[in-house]
Amino acid sequence: MSPSCKENEEVLSYSKRGEGGFRPLDRSSVASLWAERFGISEEAFQGYRFFGKAQSIWVCSDFPLPGLKFESVGMRMMSLKDRPWKPTTSALQIFGRHAKKNVVHLSEEEAGAFMAGSSLSLEADCQPGYVVVFYRGEVLGCGLYSRGTLISQIPKDRRVASCQG
Amino acid sequence: MDGPERYRHIIPDFQGFQEIGCKPLGSSVRINTLKASRSCLLQRLQEKALDFRSFPWYPLGLRLKALKPGKLVEHLLGYFHVQEEVSMGPPLVLDPLPGEVVLDLCASPGSKTTQISQQMQNCGLVVANEPSLSRISALRANCERLGAVNVAITRYDGRRFPSLLFDRALVDVPCSGEGRARRDPGIWMRSSKRRSLDLQALQVGLLSRAVELTKPGGTIVYSTCTYAPEENEMVVEKVLDRARLEKISIPGLTSSPGLLAWEGRELDWELERCARYYPHQNDTGGFFVAKLQRE
Repeated sequence: MSPSCKENEEVLSYSKRGEGGFRPLDRSSVASLWAERFGISEEAFQGYRFFGKAQSIWVCSDFPLPGLKFESVGMRMMSLKDRPWKPTTSALQIFGRHAKKNVVHLSEEEAGAFMAGSSLSLEADCQPGYVVVFYRGEVLGCGLYSRGTLISQIPKDRRVASCQG
Repeated sequence: MDGPERYRHIIPDFQGFQEIGCKPLGSSVRINTLKASRSCLLQRLQEKALDFRSFPWYPLGLRLKALKPGKLVEHLLGYFHVQEEVSMGPPLVLDPLPGEVVLDLCASPGSKTTQISQQMQNCGLVVANEPSLSRISALRANCERLGAVNVAITRYDGRRFPSLLFDRALVDVPCSGEGRARRDPGIWMRSSKRRSLDLQALQVGLLSRAVELTKPGGTIVYSTCTYAPEENEMVVEKVLDRARLEKISIPGLTSSPGLLAWEGRELDWELERCARYYPHQNDTGGFFVAKLQRE
């Protein structure tokens, strides 16, 4: 982990080691990152538990886990590997609708290109970095916005050919 | 290669069975209520002028006429999952409840896992086990796309899964896959009595362990997508000293009872309570399902 990831490291080192390397994390420490970037309040994360493993944060339903060696718990929610941290498209499809800032709303044509994995030229009222991308009021997923360009972060296996949008 | 001929005397209307075997299977999808309501998805499909029809036996299942349903936006959004019609049956028979702890012993690629998660409304826990690392990525991807966050994935040999007690267990075992022949006609070239007997040892090991891992009074569902009695009734028979069979009935889905004899050998009378789903009965793939209660 590079020195620039110090804040991320603090979040990950919060709690003790759990089974399969998944370390329980405090909800508010995770929620504060989402509040800062997207203006999502901590209430949106009630009913969930959080775990850290290998520079990623995972989210699952709030239920005690038995003592097994897990490959994954719930879904991978964000990567702390680089700075800024990166939310997953899957996690944004659950929590992103609560976002108050750093959101981009696309037109039909733009949404088709975004879902096909293309970059778009557009001006948005966002700080540079990862944004929640909406179309028709629904979260499509994660985009990377910087100086008039939105780069689709939709995973390759989930991209949609624009002709079928 | 033995082919379907060895089932001529056990499959009702064998000619109908052979005829439908030549017709490819259409696409079917399951509406994912973890992310979209039924009415919301149906409205979107109507807006796109797509041709679809609900299953008569399961309102969340749709036969959908689309070239590639997996390329629709609603798939990216996780509003539905592409899943063979009759494979939506075993989770209904399992009938898990929110807040329970459920084991899916042979989980990948997660069609039934995520259906269980949706039946539980993401409350409680589904432990989805898959021994093969290469198959875990598909399982994970499906759980994440569908928002099934009460699923935790493990990678044990299911026959030696660590001791725990679950409320329910689904044992959808690796099988010869004869019920998939409408998708993959080459299946008949690879299946044989000998191959079924080879698979039987693994299947018995998996089902036996699942019975041990289920609480007394808890439910175990055993399923395959094959017709071979060696992989079906003759596997279930091995655990009848520890679990009791319950009669299966899914209203609107026609089935045949489990076999009571095979190749001159009489089988336990209780096995009649199992269900065999043949392709020509419901215009689906083929399946076998047994519902057991741990004693």
